[in-house]
Amino acid sequence: MSTLNAALNASASALNAERTRIEVAVSNLANAESTRGADGKPYRRRDVVLAADHSFEKALGEAGAIGVKVAAIVEDNEPFQRRHDPSHPDADAEGFVAMPNVNTPEEMVNMLSASRAYQANLTAIGLIRELVQKALELGK
Amino acid sequence: MSIPAIGPLVAPSTVSPSTSTSPAPSAGFVESLGKLLETTEASGDAANTAVEKMLDGRGEVHDAMIALQRAEFALQFTVQVRNKLVQAYQDIMRMSV
Repeated sequence: MSTLNAALNASASALNAERTRIEVAVSNLANAESTRGADGKPYRRRDVVLAADHSFEKALGEAGAIGVKVAAIVEDNEPFQRRHDPSHPDADAEGFVAMPNVNTPEEMVNMLSASRAYQANLTAIGLIRELVQKALELGK
Repeated sequence: MSIPAIGPLVAPSTVSPSTSTSPAPSAGFVESLGKLLETTEASGDAANTAVEKMLDGRGEVHDAMIALQRAEFALQFTVQVRNKLVQAYQDIMRMSV
């Protein structure tokens, strides 16, 4: 059952990674209008960097399944959007407000893709579960 | 009509030693059964921890469910082994001598 166990571990790591992607997309959406961050500047869009996690492979010898891990959460260095709104308290001398570099449709697409990937990994876990149950029926 | 004499039996000069050695005594069945029970208990404990973590808000739903599933598999496997064991015992007890 070690191979299936490795596959289960890989799927579980993917679930965690996709959950992080969804969380980051949600935080980008939530802060699409935040003009003041922790450093006083507008919110910067964040991105998740995923990496293959070979630690399972080493731990289990020749197991075929390789997990995934969140390598980093990086800030997007695209310039801030400028919106003309002189009455805004954060407007500069010319009446422009620096808005976060968040593109709402893009975040929606990211969120959808992460949620589909999460579902795909859930399906994979369901498949593994079915296989193990069928294998246990051999003993009946 | 001549009948050829029967030749002497030629005994093999050397008998090559059997390559199959007696297998090393494997771990006793009781021992492996104990190990199985320990594994089952450990996976049950892991499931418990995962569920508690989830309830505390520190863990993920899927992690808890996967731990539960693992524990269920381990338990089902143990039950199957136990069923086989009992069945084997009964088969032997029913054997007419």
